[in-house]
Amino acid sequence: MLDGLKPELDYHALNAMLNLYDADGRIRFDADRLAARQYFLQHVNQNTVFFHNLDEKLRYLVDEGYYEPEVLDQYSRNFQRAIWDAAYARKFRFPTFLGAFKYYTSYTLKTRDGQRYLERYEDRVVMVALTLARGDEALAMRFMEEMLSGRFQPATPTFLNAGKQSRGELISCFLLRIEDNMESIGRSINSALQLSKRGGGVALMLTNLREAGAPIKGIENQSSGVIPVMKLLEDSFSYANQLGARQGAGAVYLNAHHPDIMRFLDTKRENADEKIRIKTLSLGVVIPDITFELAKKNADMYLFSPHDVQKVYGVPFSEISVSEKYAEMVDDKRIKKRKINAREFFQTIAEIQFESGYPYIMFEDTVNRANPVHGRITMSNLCSEILQVNEASEFNEDLSYSHLGTDISCNLGSLNIAATMDGPDFGATVEAAIRALTAVSEMSAIDAVPSIRRGNDEAHAVGLGQMNLHGFLARERIHYGSPEGVEFTSVYFAAVAFHAIRASNLLAQEHGQTFKDFEKSKYADGTFFDKYIDRDWLPTLPDVARVFDGVTLPTRDDWARLKADVMEHGLYNRNLQAVPPTGSISYINNSTSSIHPIVSKIEIRKEGKIGRVYYPAAFMSNENLEYYRDAYEIGPDAIIDTYAAATAHVDQGLSLTLFFPSEATTRDINRAQIRAWKKGIKTIYYIRLRQTALEGTEVQGCVSCTL
Amino acid sequence: MQTVARAINWNRLDDDKDLEVWNRLTVNFWLPEKVPLSNDVQSWGTLRPAERELTIRVFTGLTLLDTVQNIVGAPSLMPDAITPHEEAVLSNIAFMEAVHARSYSSIFSTLCLTKEVDEAFRWAEENPHLQAKARLILEEYKAGADPLKRKIASVFLESFLFYSGFYLPMYWSSRAKLTNTADLIRLIIRDEAVHGYYVGYKFQRGLERVGEARRAELKDFAFSLMFELYDIEQRYTAELYDGIGLTEDVKAFLHYNANKALQNLGYEALFPAQVCEVNPAILAALSPDSENHDFFSGSGSSYVIGKAVATEDEDWDF
Repeated sequence: MLDGLKPELDYHALNAMLNLYDADGRIRFDADRLAARQYFLQHVNQNTVFFHNLDEKLRYLVDEGYYEPEVLDQYSRNFQRAIWDAAYARKFRFPTFLGAFKYYTSYTLKTRDGQRYLERYEDRVVMVALTLARGDEALAMRFMEEMLSGRFQPATPTFLNAGKQSRGELISCFLLRIEDNMESIGRSINSALQLSKRGGGVALMLTNLREAGAPIKGIENQSSGVIPVMKLLEDSFSYANQLGARQGAGAVYLNAHHPDIMRFLDTKRENADEKIRIKTLSLGVVIPDITFELAKKNADMYLFSPHDVQKVYGVPFSEISVSEKYAEMVDDKRIKKRKINAREFFQTIAEIQFESGYPYIMFEDTVNRANPVHGRITMSNLCSEILQVNEASEFNEDLSYSHLGTDISCNLGSLNIAATMDGPDFGATVEAAIRALTAVSEMSAIDAVPSIRRGNDEAHAVGLGQMNLHGFLARERIHYGSPEGVEFTSVYFAAVAFHAIRASNLLAQEHGQTFKDFEKSKYADGTFFDKYIDRDWLPTLPDVARVFDGVTLPTRDDWARLKADVMEHGLYNRNLQAVPPTGSISYINNSTSSIHPIVSKIEIRKEGKIGRVYYPAAFMSNENLEYYRDAYEIGPDAIIDTYAAATAHVDQGLSLTLFFPSEATTRDINRAQIRAWKKGIKTIYYIRLRQTALEGTEVQGCVSCTL
Repeated sequence: MQTVARAINWNRLDDDKDLEVWNRLTVNFWLPEKVPLSNDVQSWGTLRPAERELTIRVFTGLTLLDTVQNIVGAPSLMPDAITPHEEAVLSNIAFMEAVHARSYSSIFSTLCLTKEVDEAFRWAEENPHLQAKARLILEEYKAGADPLKRKIASVFLESFLFYSGFYLPMYWSSRAKLTNTADLIRLIIRDEAVHGYYVGYKFQRGLERVGEARRAELKDFAFSLMFELYDIEQRYTAELYDGIGLTEDVKAFLHYNANKALQNLGYEALFPAQVCEVNPAILAALSPDSENHDFFSGSGSSYVIGKAVATEDEDWDF
């Protein structure tokens, strides 16, 4: 239909041409590049405020209250000029339209009326670097280098907010416990509002709430269970948004053995009643090993009243390992229980996943076995990659704390695997990233939610993620999920773990301080390091050795020395790695998302702010398309194998999405879940389905409409 | 003589297409409540008054057509059905048309004031072009009318007449406006594409049973009805879209879909490729497949009702 590129087309139309083959059946990457160029010519350049020089610009931005003067005041004027010059000298260009469009729509500093741009990409990077380096010139220069080269990309809240005067928090993600009393429920809703306002995703654990029909003050049939609490939370998240920048978003987690579990799942049914339908809140289910064993035997699974469990054991339900106490609780007459068939439970999960993509799953026992630090992990977060320990709070009647527990926050940032592999010094990149993330933790103090603040102060937990795995492998002509692809993942993540631990150990030495309860961790007793000292984590396949050529990888001796250093000086950060799904930042960074395969050669991205935009996979050309098989073609097994290889070296979790064609059945989903659990996967994020158009009804010549 | 009541047996198919389409339609089942339309309230506020009025009018126009199709169109096709399975599929189509009509009301009640909506419904009743095209289609749906011509009218409605309206939400969503509304419309488009295709398919099967002369007559009829409808549609489009300067763009989209409707009937294209150059942003926006949405904004348009199959012992081998 549309041959050749018509210059009069606007950039949206040019970008959309990516999704339509040309007359020869080739993807029009040229149209997208032209779209990026036209976007600057037709829009960005005309709408950017002009300054004669840097001094004028900085003076204006500080005087008008756009930039935080405290950030700039830490550096000399000469250094400011030097870092800006160095940044602009790199001649950064956005390779895709979506990268540029996303950056200017969602990240860059704008005039208060939202009409004109005050920053280019280089300005944003430098401001983030100056903010996080806190006056250390060398470190600021290093951060700028790592970010502008695309090796390290801070998560959205950090990259968006750092250095701005009116801004949200730098932290991405929060996790809150709810205990079985009205004070805790009320306080949680307040916290959800406060944290959404500051721009973070919030997950809440509902496992400890008593079920519908449970007694209140000894009177039977009084409690309404978890659903009304979910409704309250859903409305709270819709109400609070970060200066209108984005809607609040939340998730709730419930243990599989909670009596409300089936109602919880039914809130996402296509035909659910309006009163109980949950539209925007994300759901997660915490599944212990015992549930799988019961399903294997095709037995019933008992659901236990959290209220009774707490009375019998003296601790909240979430603190009990259901697998461990299952038989005991089944036999205990004091605990009210009901039963459902375990296989039907799994089938119901798969049915709901078909209809809605939810729930997420956290494999409770896997997660706790792999947890190197003291304490119990009871929930995950909005993207199912944060796995940290927490502690219950207790409240007085006026909602003040009678015991301040700990809740979880996490600052995230990701390495671009391709850029990091191409970089001059692998270890230095990881170290810089850990230092930047630690700075975010140290600079954050969320006083609105004291349990979050206490958790952050004691743990300095960070989550270093990875992205562009598929793009990198394809560029190197390695198939995602092939033996080479899996081995690369294993070796790469082991090396990242090494340098992340090394960096945190350096920080502990510099601060003379470790995270709280370090001495009770598997790092302190050295057992964490066993698997790195007992065997090598080095390439064995020629293609993998080839791509690591020039990268120094840690040997067993290196690990042994690191073990000694850690046992002596400790670690500064309780948690170090977590692999998030990386939506927006991977577009800016020209990466494929996270470590999962591409969803489509040309991805259709839809968001509230940017509408529908088209994105080509990183490094893809009409010549190497065979390496860009998408997630539906690759199938769940290869994805699980790849994630299992990475999981072995990640102390927290990884957002693992599974992809199925819509002809799949619930049984296919269940089988993938069983396989994931067997392979030691910690969490499963969304289930995504793709429906191919009925033959005869498809949009002609469309790239993303399955072939 | 008594007529024998017959039970429908889905295990004895005269035409495999019936089951294929039935399966597709049932997995595609949805209700408007699934789409968080209220996330579009802010975006609605950024539209200028004229843009808002246009949007409400476009949706009112669509409501009218869906109502026609639900109450008259799909049911009127049932007596002509060749197989009982075809009837079953048509009853599903009729129901989903009701869901579509209902959906526009959901959009209205979420975004607009009652007064604005009432005004638009009045406008729809008084708009000569809208009424003219509804009349032309209804004429063919009348009892006693030619069954094959009825199918032609139905395909034109499903595959052609809706699209002057569908253009607008696709346009808005390519501009990052009303993106959840666009999701809902995309669900409707997903259905209409199957409906138009299926009725067109049945038309072609019907055509196989008639002689040369009759075929020529039907083709003449189809093209002249298309010309008539196109003529009205062109004026309807101009009246709606002149104000925001999109008429030419919408027309290209009309040509594209007119060709598509004719293709569903097995006929050659009417409009040459040059006048079908749809704005790529709109064309690409039509595909609901594998869209990657962020959890902050919406529910997307790609989930379906799955096939439940129990796991077996071998699946739990660990």
